[in-house]
Amino acid sequence: MLIKRSEARAGKQRLAAAYQGLSSGGLDRRAFLKQAGITGVGLAGLGAIPLTTVRPAQAGPMNHQQPVTRVKNICTHCSVGCTVTAEVQNGVWVGQEPAWESPINRGTHCAKGAAVRELVHGDRRIKYPMKLVNGQWTRMTWDAAVTEIGDKLMAVRQASGPDSVFWLGSAKFSNEGAYLFRKFAAFWGTNNVDHQARICHSTTVAGVANTWGYGAQTNSYNDIRNSKTMIIMGGNPAEAHPVSLQHVLSGKEANRANLIVIDPRFTRTAAHATEYVRIRPGTDIPIIWGMLWHIFQNNWEDKEFIRQRVYGMDDVRAEVAKWTPAEVERVTGVPGAQLRKVAELFATQKPATLIWCMGATQKTVGTANVRAYSILLLATGNVGKDGTGANIFRGHCNVQGATDFGLDVTTLPAYYGLDANAWNHWSRVWGVSYESMVARFDSRQMMEMPGIPTTRYFDAVTMPVNAQTGLAQRDNFKAMMVFGHGGNTVTRMPEAVRGLEKLDLLVVADPHPTTFAVLANRRENTYLLPICTQFECDGSRTASNRSVQWCSQVVKPIFESKTDYEAMYRLAGAIDAAAARRNMPFRMREEMFRPYEIRDNAPVAESILREINRGAISTGYTGQSPERLKLHMQHQDKFDLVTLRAKDDAPAEIRGDFYGLPWPCWGTPEMRHPGTHVLYNTNLHVKEGGGTFRARFGVERNGVSLLAEGSYSKGSELTDGYPEFTTAVMARLGWDAELTEAEKASIARQGGTASWATDLSMGIIRVTMEHGVMAYGNAKARANAWNLPDPVPVHREPIYTPRTDLIAQYPTLPDRRGFRLPHLGQSVQNRAKDLAPNFPIILSSGRLVEYEGGGEETRSNKWLAELQQDMFVEINPRDAAARNIRDGAWVLVNGPEMPQGKAVRMKALVTERVGPGVAWMPFHFAGWFMQEDQRSKYPQGTDPIVLGESVNAVTTYGYDPVTFMQETKVTLCQIRAA
Amino acid sequence: MRALILALALILAAPMAGQAQTAPQVSGTPTSPTPMMPPVADELEVLKALQGGRVAGRITIPDQQAASLIQPQGRSWRDFHNVTLAWVGGIAVLGMLAILVVFRMSKGRIPVEGGLAGRTIQRFNGLERANHWMVASTFIILAISGLNLTFGRHVLLPIVGPEAFTAISQWGKYAHNFLAFPFTLGIVLMLLLWVKDNIPNGRDIKWFAAGGGLVGHGHPDSERFNGGQKGIFWITTLGGATVAVTGYMLVFPFMFTDIAGMQLSHIIHSIVSVLMIAVMLAHIYIGSIGMEGASDAMTTGQVDLNWAKQHHNLWVEKEMAKGRGAEPPASARAAGAD
Amino acid sequence: MARMKFLLDAERCIECNACVTACKNEHEVPWGINRRRVVTINDGKPGERSISMACMHCTDAPCAAVCPVSCFYTTADAIVLHDKDLCIGCGYCFYACPFGAPQYPRVGNFGSRGKMDKCTYCAGGPQADNTQAEYIQYGSNRIAEGKLPLCAEMCSTKALLAGDGQVIAQIYRERVQKRGYGSGAWGWRTAYRETVAI
Repeated sequence: MLIKRSEARAGKQRLAAAYQGLSSGGLDRRAFLKQAGITGVGLAGLGAIPLTTVRPAQAGPMNHQQPVTRVKNICTHCSVGCTVTAEVQNGVWVGQEPAWESPINRGTHCAKGAAVRELVHGDRRIKYPMKLVNGQWTRMTWDAAVTEIGDKLMAVRQASGPDSVFWLGSAKFSNEGAYLFRKFAAFWGTNNVDHQARICHSTTVAGVANTWGYGAQTNSYNDIRNSKTMIIMGGNPAEAHPVSLQHVLSGKEANRANLIVIDPRFTRTAAHATEYVRIRPGTDIPIIWGMLWHIFQNNWEDKEFIRQRVYGMDDVRAEVAKWTPAEVERVTGVPGAQLRKVAELFATQKPATLIWCMGATQKTVGTANVRAYSILLLATGNVGKDGTGANIFRGHCNVQGATDFGLDVTTLPAYYGLDANAWNHWSRVWGVSYESMVARFDSRQMMEMPGIPTTRYFDAVTMPVNAQTGLAQRDNFKAMMVFGHGGNTVTRMPEAVRGLEKLDLLVVADPHPTTFAVLANRRENTYLLPICTQFECDGSRTASNRSVQWCSQVVKPIFESKTDYEAMYRLAGAIDAAAARRNMPFRMREEMFRPYEIRDNAPVAESILREINRGAISTGYTGQSPERLKLHMQHQDKFDLVTLRAKDDAPAEIRGDFYGLPWPCWGTPEMRHPGTHVLYNTNLHVKEGGGTFRARFGVERNGVSLLAEGSYSKGSELTDGYPEFTTAVMARLGWDAELTEAEKASIARQGGTASWATDLSMGIIRVTMEHGVMAYGNAKARANAWNLPDPVPVHREPIYTPRTDLIAQYPTLPDRRGFRLPHLGQSVQNRAKDLAPNFPIILSSGRLVEYEGGGEETRSNKWLAELQQDMFVEINPRDAAARNIRDGAWVLVNGPEMPQGKAVRMKALVTERVGPGVAWMPFHFAGWFMQEDQRSKYPQGTDPIVLGESVNAVTTYGYDPVTFMQETKVTLCQIRAA
Repeated sequence: MRALILALALILAAPMAGQAQTAPQVSGTPTSPTPMMPPVADELEVLKALQGGRVAGRITIPDQQAASLIQPQGRSWRDFHNVTLAWVGGIAVLGMLAILVVFRMSKGRIPVEGGLAGRTIQRFNGLERANHWMVASTFIILAISGLNLTFGRHVLLPIVGPEAFTAISQWGKYAHNFLAFPFTLGIVLMLLLWVKDNIPNGRDIKWFAAGGGLVGHGHPDSERFNGGQKGIFWITTLGGATVAVTGYMLVFPFMFTDIAGMQLSHIIHSIVSVLMIAVMLAHIYIGSIGMEGASDAMTTGQVDLNWAKQHHNLWVEKEMAKGRGAEPPASARAAGAD
Repeated sequence: MARMKFLLDAERCIECNACVTACKNEHEVPWGINRRRVVTINDGKPGERSISMACMHCTDAPCAAVCPVSCFYTTADAIVLHDKDLCIGCGYCFYACPFGAPQYPRVGNFGSRGKMDKCTYCAGGPQADNTQAEYIQYGSNRIAEGKLPLCAEMCSTKALLAGDGQVIAQIYRERVQKRGYGSGAWGWRTAYRETVAI
């Protein structure tokens, strides 16, 4: 009971009356949009607010006399997958409530999640389509915009071929959007389709998939509560994945667990560690091998696990032997005693888990780092059990899903690759002929050749076409279609500017005009399409732990924005119309969208997911029907916090399921596979989410078996290793008789033979599961991955290293080719060696909690932007003192590849977070480019509140050989007082 | 002051920092602080380590006041405001009123010795008088609105009720903030106009020894301003300057200083103000009803010659010598003599 | 009657600022007004701790004691609220407040203060509960709806606790006993003249 003074103060009602006009009866949608968009209550309006109010009237408050609808969606920022509960009145999002029922976030959020409502306030969103006319943004209609774009795309296609259009998709897509976009590129006839995973965890996917089968987090955020030892290496989840820290810190407290942070920077995460190890940036492999040196030396390794489930560990031993404590300290700076302690904890205080993020992956040795991490887990037997595993925290809200659905230059959806088998499989799923797909490409060769990754798009614009020394495709990039992607997240921005300026067509489809829209000095042929956020859209998204969550539309798309689905549907139509005008036979829309239910000029998300369920067999994206996912969202409270399993009091339809049916969720939805909480877990029956390491790389190599020895999942009828299942293996075991007539007929229709992953009937999976057997086989994980440039990871100095004395001993890879482009290594490193003395400070970059990715969206959110108003560089007090730099003062930073005489200007944050000789910058800023303020180049009213220099104006050349991941974590720079 | 916050943070961190600074010289090679148990940042321990100082840290928003986490000094300021200031102000103001009442009762009005001469002498010119009244009027409003902030809630609020009291106080605040500028201007002008006549000298000591003529017989010699008036002058100018400077600190919050500076500014401002108010009460009394002939100086500017001779004999002599002697009363002037 | 308090477990706080934006979101608090904030002490060094701070709704609240116009009042739940129609923006509460809670919109020409604004413990103001007038001046009133402050409800690591003092002290006590360490209930001695005995 509160003491309200309302009775005694009837006079207050005068004031109430005065504000009635602002929002009597609550806002309706039309009034809200009018207020939010057109009049645009800016910050400058503050002075005009009556003295007694805290705020100008906006979307709130709720009208307590009217009904409120509660809608569940998922936060659109990081990959933790926090449920957002939105309160909606009259079509306006008026409030956010804690989503207590979600087993992932249990009501909580970080700064971004607690501020997502602002995204659909729309203060600074793109409100209608626009194009540049002589350098001025000019409003146009959707129809006119897509017609012009379709026309220009067909012009490029006619002159240069389909590979000259770069389709850049987004980890902000729903699963259905990502899948549709990949399919769109396939129907356009190119593999030049990519998204943010290239620059966050492409090396993780490559590294772990090459080790044990799947490129994903093996366990879950919740499962970390079971760990006794946690190493967080190359990650700062306290800022990047704050809600994950709820599980990490709870686990740390409940188990009195060891929380070890290995990082060059004393992060907010490190502040909560029981042990902090500061390393020199770029020396992860020596650290891991240094730990393994102690582990092998002291026999702390899990010998039985290695014998049964690991291939090639002896090759690792040979490499590890070189990394004596003295050598490790010489290279990394970490004393042997500390590393011995960490190694002992990790190997003996089990279960232990290794958590990593982009500190591991964004390196020229990214894939090798990930491989070394995985090998450490294998050597200590910390995979495939509760509380163990590679807990890889992905970045964006659906980067896992977008990766799974092949927004990637190397594969079709669900990691089928690009070979003829893959194309045949997906042609069958799509209901089109393989030949018709071939006809869409320049050639069958281009159809099976990996495309050009997003880290190098500008090289593909500017580099001469030459299959040996330059670009290996018919023509350069001429057009770029950017959906949901920032332009400041890729290194070497000065060169990106040159590339962007040369394009014939640049289309940015996004809720905000990203850096792409303003970075280059384009004056024509540049379009902005307003796309709605996932809060204005239905669809599923996959969290980092592989749980798939269904998100319901909170409000209708605001202003003139459209869903990704509708944008693609309209674009396909426009392309068809343009082709017709040119008398070209090429058509997209009819064939591509035929399987879907079309409503309001857009394919319905559920119908797209059903197609995914039919085709994405290899990753087990088949059991997650829209109905099951919606039931999970409805009954979130029935899932256990630690095991993520629906408890006994759950409705029968979900009882026993793991939350969000984490993939693989085998077979048809009707088979009721519960999903897989912990990958490769032999302690569970495959029907209960158990599994083995995947037999992906054959059955033997050089006479050594690659199959597991004496290890199998619980209840398996085969008690030893076995290869992946095909119709032939089924026949040999006599299990083919157990296929139903319908299944047999389906296999017959596809030619009589199929592997488990291409069997559209999913009969092979059903039958093998009945026998307790994993359809993908039961193999050893590979400590030696012979198909990679470094089969056993070796240390390689960063290209731009301050330790030039180590280059001779630990050089980077020689120059090579990949992804249709040259890939330079040693030639750049040799040049960099001479530049190093002029750039004595290591520059690393990373994340702030308030912002995400390129930051356009979050820097436009007034609740977030207020918290970080300036781009800054962290610099150690010693380096600052030597340069006469005060905390908070302006500094100039330049890098070895920046144009002569140019520098970036930002504030200094003098702190011991970074060690001497190391500087660190957040990567979310843009809008200033080498001291040019680009605010006036944004369409009016859409400029983000906060602008700043981009770290990637300073970053340099350097790519992982396997995925072309960019090097953002180790380069060199010089800093001086401004 | 930001430096101070940082300094405090550094003091707090000193035991840990020593460990972290043993840096090897190779660029980029890390230091490895290895706390076995993470140091505990217990509030009580931190406050103890700071010996009651402010707990401050780093914050990302630009408002650096927000970087101060706990400032125990708030409690001291509260004690000052609610206890010390109330007592000092109450005693000073009420005490002075009491003294004046007693003085009046015992001594009565101070007459002009020998009665009015009927002839006057120009004591203050128009500029001096205008400036005086600018300072005086603003001072009175500043004083009342200022006293209201300290005593109003006890005195006025129960009488007029909360809404009216807020209205009064709000207007009082506006008046206080804006009249600070003419007040300051007046103080500066006052200093320029009168400083040359207000240089203290030996005669002032004798004047004070004679109690301004109230002790013993005869009136002590005095130039244009006697010791008491010089005292008022210096209290007004120096005190005025002090309240002005501290007042501007308060009007422009945190523009020049941090929370400690703001608190100190307020303390100085309020103490000096209440003391000035007490002194000015006496000044007002003497200049008006307390002394025969005194008010003319600041009204017409023409004082009676006898009053002048009694209180400022040396000044009168000097003025006479300069030939700017006493004029007959205005009524005695020939018509059209101007 | 409940005695509402905030309790910040510095061993859990990671400076994610969810409390800050949750507050902004719930009450549409404008730019420049920070009802809640997170301060990091010992930044970048071992022993670094972040502490989320807002009005602690003190026992014998200093703001109320020094307010020249007596605009503060305390609810039956011991939440310290104020009446903006009475506030004159003098700034005294900021000088007295140990936690820097009062905030002032800048109005007029020389940084002079508007009506003071501060954390309401999501309990609104003196007007009738959950009316437009109350919302515009103070933000929403969750307490009247039977909910707790959104900052604490949304805290990513459940470092910030809100609720009856005895209940949250018990939660904290059990936490410290389970994990074996704690850095005290930040601000309690200053605000409530007590600490949580473990």
